[in-house]
Amino acid sequence: MTTVPDDTAPDETFGLEVTTGEERDVRVQVRGDLDHETAEELLEAARAHLRSDRPPRHLHLDCARLTLCDSMGLAALLLIHRHALAAGTRLHLDNRPGMLEHLLELTGTLDHFAQAEKGGDDRPAHEDPPPHSAAGSPPPAHPG
Amino acid sequence: MTTFEGASRQPRGLVRHVGASWMQAPYPALVADSSGGVVEANAAATHLFPGAVSGAWLDHVVPGWLADAHRRAGEEGQPPRPVRGRHEDLTLEAHPTVGTDGDIVWWLVDDTDRLLAETALRSERERTAFLADASSRLLASLNVPRCMEVAVQLAASHLADAALLVMPAAGRRHPIAASVGGAPAEHSSARIDPSAVTGLSEALQGFPPVPSRWIDPATLPDWAVPEGFDGPAGSVVVTPLPGHGIPAGALILLRRGDHAAFDASEEVFARVFAARAGAALSAARMYAEQAGITATLMVELLPPKLHPVRGVEYAGGYRASRDTERIGGDFYDVHPGAGSDQETLAVLGDVCGKGLDAAVLTGKIRTTLQALLPLAEDHEKLLRLLNGTLLTGRHTRYATLVLASVRREGRVTRLRLTSAGHPRPLIVRRSGEVEEADTAGTLIGALPDVHARTAEVLLQPGEACLLYTDGITEAKGGPLGDVRFGTRRLREAVADCAGMPAEAVVERVQMLAAEWVGGRPHDDMAVLAISVPHSTHLTAVDGRTPGRYTT
Repeated sequence: MTTVPDDTAPDETFGLEVTTGEERDVRVQVRGDLDHETAEELLEAARAHLRSDRPPRHLHLDCARLTLCDSMGLAALLLIHRHALAAGTRLHLDNRPGMLEHLLELTGTLDHFAQAEKGGDDRPAHEDPPPHSAAGSPPPAHPG
Repeated sequence: MTTFEGASRQPRGLVRHVGASWMQAPYPALVADSSGGVVEANAAATHLFPGAVSGAWLDHVVPGWLADAHRRAGEEGQPPRPVRGRHEDLTLEAHPTVGTDGDIVWWLVDDTDRLLAETALRSERERTAFLADASSRLLASLNVPRCMEVAVQLAASHLADAALLVMPAAGRRHPIAASVGGAPAEHSSARIDPSAVTGLSEALQGFPPVPSRWIDPATLPDWAVPEGFDGPAGSVVVTPLPGHGIPAGALILLRRGDHAAFDASEEVFARVFAARAGAALSAARMYAEQAGITATLMVELLPPKLHPVRGVEYAGGYRASRDTERIGGDFYDVHPGAGSDQETLAVLGDVCGKGLDAAVLTGKIRTTLQALLPLAEDHEKLLRLLNGTLLTGRHTRYATLVLASVRREGRVTRLRLTSAGHPRPLIVRRSGEVEEADTAGTLIGALPDVHARTAEVLLQPGEACLLYTDGITEAKGGPLGDVRFGTRRLREAVADCAGMPAEAVVERVQMLAAEWVGGRPHDDMAVLAISVPHSTHLTAVDGRTPGRYTT
């Protein structure tokens, strides 16, 4: 089982493109290598939205043009996921290239991100439900 | 208004042509005939040489060098050359022009200021060159004692007859380096009283230096006069070595009594030199501190030496990324169980990121795992506990690792293998077949809950299990340096290792990976092999009926 398709991908310099859609949806296109040098930039961009007064309902990270994701890159994705959960935002890793899929699978984090996409309702029972009453925030919208 | 009228001789030749205007020229000029008599001197010349009036002999009224030059100019057939010499405080340049009748006009130029400027320029240039040289020599070493040596040697050969560098006290003693006349520096460490030298305790606190004339050389304590310094000190300069934030020490310069005392510009220059030396020393000291911290951590993180345990061989190999100042990353350990029938726990892992953060996390994981050793019967539970210890709200730095619990049970060796988000271990069968252990799990330290599935594997003698980090499979190489070593190449490499002892497997994998990357940069690479020796080695097995399983 070899996964070397991304070896032939052309070098792309790291860059982010943020677009805000309707219904408080934010889409971030990630280009190039997500590694120890660039992870912080993505983290800051995501934090800026997740920590605002009205965090987005959905945060889409479009990974179609992602060329590499190293351990620091995955750590950044995990941290964004944690912040998204706290903000009540659903995180989507869209258009995952093979190498990212492989990394998520290997590290046992694929399910974790999949649950985030589905939203809080489908979180496993052993996780504490979000404190609805305390913060007075409305319960997450039902999917579908 | 000329003085011609009163002149005893009539102006002749050239003088006639020049006319009277030269008499008022702002530069001294005088005319002398071939016999050495003054024909005429203008006002400026008479001011310079009061006796130079018509009829006087040059020898009596001008300096010897000028009279000699005039004599030579008369003797030689060729046009005379300009000469230079001193007259009282001045430096004069005398330019001759010859008249048709043999008279010579000497035009005198006061050269004093130009010479002074040239001397000043030369000394400034020398100082600049010295400073440039000093800086490069001082910064060439990040070793504190070496840096002290260079500083005192430079100071003692260029600024003074002897130099002492006193560092801030390390405990109760001050490290001192001293040099006389630029000779190799002597190091010492002494309990001294800095207040015994005027200005030293102030300099050691970073205060500006006191003027040299305030320091009485006669009161210098013995330790402040280096051995080999002959004669009493005539003048002393004490100047601080400014460091980064805190003083780096103080420099004491000594000159012998028979040498000129330090003048103001030399004191200023000593401060300029001290600033460079201080910066270099301070950099060296900070580097030494950092290197010390790194070394301390590295000792904790060094891969252990592995030995066979209860009939099973273990071998590890670690090739650190060439990024030398960055530490941390991969690790492995082998923990033999307490009792002779207990499992041995081998672990290999990879911590996310590099540098101190990664090193601290690595240390934490290794220590925690050792503490959790009694719970190794249940890998998932152990991983859950480890995860709980490492989980923090501050970051999501994580580790991936493989646990291998190993027990030799007579002929077969039973392995329980669990991957926590880590590349799956490879099993090398005697036939050369390579299998991937069927285990999977969640990375450790980032998620609130972790899961893991343990695989059970039996090894026959001559079979091995290889744990590795993705530094091996991700290593880029090939003809263009852009192809990963990959799992396929690794599997082929270990397939050739069937029947080999653990050490040979590790060596082969490391060698192939090193060949693959060539000189290119790579991540940390770690491998750990677990092998069961052929049955002939069985006599060494933990005393259980030795030799029973020989084939």
